[in-house]
Amino acid sequence: MRTVLSFLRKYRVAACAALAMMLIELSVELIQPLIISRIIDEGIAVKDLTVVWLWGGILLVSAGIAFVAGLASSFFASHASQGFGFDLRDRLYEKVQSLSYPVFGRFATSSLITRLTGDVTQLQDMVFMGLRFATRVPLVVFGSMIMAVIVHGKLGLMLAVLTPLVVWFVLWMINRTSARFGQVQKQMDAVNGVIQENMTGMRLIRVFVRRDQENERFRKRSGELMQGTVSALRLSETTTPVLLLMMNAGILAVLWFGKIDIAAGNASIGQVVAVVNYALRTVGALSALSWIMASYSRASASAARTIEVLGTEDPSEEQWEEKPESSRKTVFNRVEKKPEDQRMKGEVEFSRVSFSYPGSNLKVLEDISFRVQPGERVAILGATGSGKSSLVQLIPGLYEPTGGDIAVDGKRIGLLGTLRLRSGIGYVPQEVILFSGSVRDNIAWGREDATFEEIQEAARQAQIHETILSLPQGYDTMLGQRGVNLSGGQKQRLSIARALVRRPAILILDDSTSALDTRTEAALLMELDRLSCTTFLITQKISSTVSADLILLLDEGHLIACGKHEELLADSPLYRRIAESQQGGGDRYVQSTH
Amino acid sequence: MFKALTEPFRHPYPGKLIKQGAGTGKKPKARAKNWSGTLGRLWLYLAERKYKLLLVLFMVLLNSGLALLGPYLIGVAVDDYLEGVGGQPWLLFLGGLALAYGATSLTSWLQNIWMIEIAQETVFRLRRDLFAKLHRLPIPFYAKRQQGEIMSRVTNDIDNVSVTLNSSAIQIFSSILILVGTLTVMLILSPLLTLLTFLVVPLMMLGMRWITSRTGPLFKRRQRDLGELNGYIEETLSGQRIIKAFSREERVIGEFRQRNAAIRESGFWAQAISGFIPKLMNALNNLSFALVAGIGGILAIHGQVTVGVIIVFVEYARQFTRPLNDLANQWNTLLSAIAGAERVFEVMDEPEESRDESGAKVLREVEGTVEFREVSFSYDEERDDDILENISFHAKPGQMIALVGPTGAGKTTLIQLLSRFYEPTKGVITLDGYDLSKITRDSLRGHMAFVLQDSFLFAGTIRENIRYGRLNATDEEVEEAAKLANAHSFIARLAEGYDKRLGVGGEGISQGQKQLLAIARAMLANPSVLVLDEATSSIDTVTELKIQEGLQRLMQGRTSFVIAHRLNTIRQADKILVLQGGKLIEQGDHEALLRQGGFYKELHQGHFEEEGENAQ
Repeated sequence: MRTVLSFLRKYRVAACAALAMMLIELSVELIQPLIISRIIDEGIAVKDLTVVWLWGGILLVSAGIAFVAGLASSFFASHASQGFGFDLRDRLYEKVQSLSYPVFGRFATSSLITRLTGDVTQLQDMVFMGLRFATRVPLVVFGSMIMAVIVHGKLGLMLAVLTPLVVWFVLWMINRTSARFGQVQKQMDAVNGVIQENMTGMRLIRVFVRRDQENERFRKRSGELMQGTVSALRLSETTTPVLLLMMNAGILAVLWFGKIDIAAGNASIGQVVAVVNYALRTVGALSALSWIMASYSRASASAARTIEVLGTEDPSEEQWEEKPESSRKTVFNRVEKKPEDQRMKGEVEFSRVSFSYPGSNLKVLEDISFRVQPGERVAILGATGSGKSSLVQLIPGLYEPTGGDIAVDGKRIGLLGTLRLRSGIGYVPQEVILFSGSVRDNIAWGREDATFEEIQEAARQAQIHETILSLPQGYDTMLGQRGVNLSGGQKQRLSIARALVRRPAILILDDSTSALDTRTEAALLMELDRLSCTTFLITQKISSTVSADLILLLDEGHLIACGKHEELLADSPLYRRIAESQQGGGDRYVQSTH
Repeated sequence: MFKALTEPFRHPYPGKLIKQGAGTGKKPKARAKNWSGTLGRLWLYLAERKYKLLLVLFMVLLNSGLALLGPYLIGVAVDDYLEGVGGQPWLLFLGGLALAYGATSLTSWLQNIWMIEIAQETVFRLRRDLFAKLHRLPIPFYAKRQQGEIMSRVTNDIDNVSVTLNSSAIQIFSSILILVGTLTVMLILSPLLTLLTFLVVPLMMLGMRWITSRTGPLFKRRQRDLGELNGYIEETLSGQRIIKAFSREERVIGEFRQRNAAIRESGFWAQAISGFIPKLMNALNNLSFALVAGIGGILAIHGQVTVGVIIVFVEYARQFTRPLNDLANQWNTLLSAIAGAERVFEVMDEPEESRDESGAKVLREVEGTVEFREVSFSYDEERDDDILENISFHAKPGQMIALVGPTGAGKTTLIQLLSRFYEPTKGVITLDGYDLSKITRDSLRGHMAFVLQDSFLFAGTIRENIRYGRLNATDEEVEEAAKLANAHSFIARLAEGYDKRLGVGGEGISQGQKQLLAIARAMLANPSVLVLDEATSSIDTVTELKIQEGLQRLMQGRTSFVIAHRLNTIRQADKILVLQGGKLIEQGDHEALLRQGGFYKELHQGHFEEEGENAQ
């Protein structure tokens, strides 16, 4: 929490001003009962009109002051909290972007998104509330106690003794209820889980005629939710009545002893009334306490989550840069834009490369060695989980090999500098990732300074140009939520175009042609041959391995065969089996059903 | 979701404004279209507990009265006892006051507890009914709507109703009572002071209107900016792999900063201006406090009112803005809850899957003869855009029928007609000679099984998932089915074996393995008619061979309909149905169709335009 609050330091003037304004407002409120007691004792009791006029006027003026102070505090608090939110969000985002991919992978993406959106908003709201209301509650409670003692020592002391007791009770109840509500939240999730599952599997449930069973399951879960909710609310609703009871008992006591003191001449009516008035104010403030505690605990959970991101240590990224510097602010500027004098040629060599994902002992790749000349095409074949995607991810340095070396153009990629390495690589991941924006933006995403001609050229090479032209607004057609939906094959080709516009020396296609039909795929491969970039092609289809310069056959992380089509047909029984299974029935063709 | 439940106490400022800050702009402000209708139906749910509800109402009445009595008695205490010379039964009076205080706490506790019970029971019934309804809705209902939208009705909208019933209902009622009560008592005590106290109300209204007319557009802008920012975060973080591989970090940080600055700007104004509302309330409260104290004092000196009356007024004035405030807030909650309830009832009013005809037959044994006789289907009977047109074919028991054709040819629709997710607009489908519409749906479906390409699995153990095919199957039978489906070997190699828990949607195993489980599940169901949808996605070759083998065994002795993608599969079919544009253009076995030299032959040669090009 403290780390997060340090983001407020930059806005301390505004924050302090907001607090000061709130204090002014508060003191006006706390003085009011005192003034009333003066009006009663010095005005009404002695029939002195001027005193009433005077104090009445003071009350009025002070109300005006409080109002102005309140408005000002709203501005200051808003400035401080928005600035705080901006800085925190900015810093978080920069941090997330600076993380190397394996470290980024430690967090679930959805959880990172929540931290950057919901959690920051939560904290920002807490700062705003804190500057305006939350700090006010303890001040009202404490101030009322002090003022009551000032007004009348003995009577005030009763309030001063009672209040801490009541506060303790309220806090104790909050503790108990929040545990219950945590339970309720879990039950709620369970209920929603059943609904979600039923919605997704509705057809299946119909076909298996499992309606009654699912209804019963849902009834059980939502019954539990009902019981849980009732019991949690029953507990939390007990707090206020008991709180009232305790404070009212205090008021009764003040009246009882007040009467005795008045009779004895030790107290005035005004004083008794003032103490009662302070007691009532305390009740009002305490009612808000549980709400404040709840939002504080939410905010501190948010703070912990954001700090976890900010405090993530990431040693690997540093070593990956060509010229390591210590200043962390320049993570992205570190490798200055180099003139493209030494264009990457695209020679790739793996020597005895092993790899396991961070935090896992399982060797995804073991002792992989091969060498690719510039411009060659490598086809990678193997079962799911055999390590194909992991292998190609090592080339742009998304992950670091745990053993062995990878060299590009004869230089270890660790020494090459991330930016330089990656700018020579066009990578098309297995799952299609496009961004909202126009078709043109999405292709140009690959290289910012690409001209429209170059973009069209890349689209043509990726066999998507014609399709784009047939879209409602051609290259300016918007994609994503507010735009058109493309088919799987179209999206794949678009992300290939995005990689091609970089004019990469190394092109990585991670099963990116799975939704293309044989003919389009063949046309694409022919284009790639003309481009003379080193191509890594992960595939399941023998048809696209036949013409490869090198085929890597992976099995459970081992490179079990490596060579050309004919060589593997002769040497590798597994390859032969795969080839037979596909060629025995002629070319497979794919038709999509939805 | 439960935010409102954890905030059972009244806040010193409008809660509405804070809630707007936390959302991501997903919640459109909806107003109910049919108020009285919706309230009436909600009442029907509540009415099941009407006596308890009556009790709650009584408690609220009592409690509101007592809330008024408290300050009044203090005034009496000041006038008659503290000021007076005593002699009267002071102890008795204090006892009465104590009783009133005790009763206040008790009634407030009881009203809340009872209301919560009523509310939660009502919500439980509402939830249960809605869920049951979901299972009676026809499948086209789901095809027409986004899943998220339906989800939000079953979750958010019902939660809204729940929260409102829990607290808002009581608060609205008691706020009105307290307001009316306060006003009455004040008028009786001193009309002049009452006038002074309420002098500020028009000011308050004016101020509120002034502020909200300004904050409205500000909040809208802020919501938009926030949505934009969150969308950007979501998109870039989901695509982080690409950003890394393309070294785009600097650029996205720059774009992010622009959006972040926009939200800072609009957020500042929205927050600052809306922050005026509680301040204005406070100031006006203070103003009326000063007026009552000052003018009241003057009146007291002239003997027109007593000190006690001033005390009562000060207390009333201090608290009368609260019910007013509550009322404004709760009113909004109530409106959105009614809108939510209306959306819930909308689903409940959707036409259901047509009931089985009276006297519909329950099929016990099924041979598996399927016949389509001149079947046509369109989503909209009015318009003439048939999805399927005049389809006729015959399948003998145990035959394998392959469905072939481009996307949108009607393959999936044909299958849906067979399982009666949709009803044909023309023509008849028969199973073992019985018209499908004369057979109960449950018994029809009980003899069918589906293995689709995105095999849906439930969160639960592998054993539970297979057993879903037949609930009373023994463990041995489950394993037997898994063995036949070729799933046993991979399950046996898992550390927890059949007891391995899968996540939602079968998370935790590969796509191919999911399919093997789906085959085992279908195997256990032992259907007479089988529907298969071959996978198009790239499953590795070894697993695929296993799946093929499992499917072969599954299809043995059952009439199977296969939406096929592989020539190997198609070639084995007893009958191939070639569909194009909703018409059955060719049928026959592989050899016959090749000889025919039509569309099928073209397909076979692989001269096939890319699929899905303009789908969706």
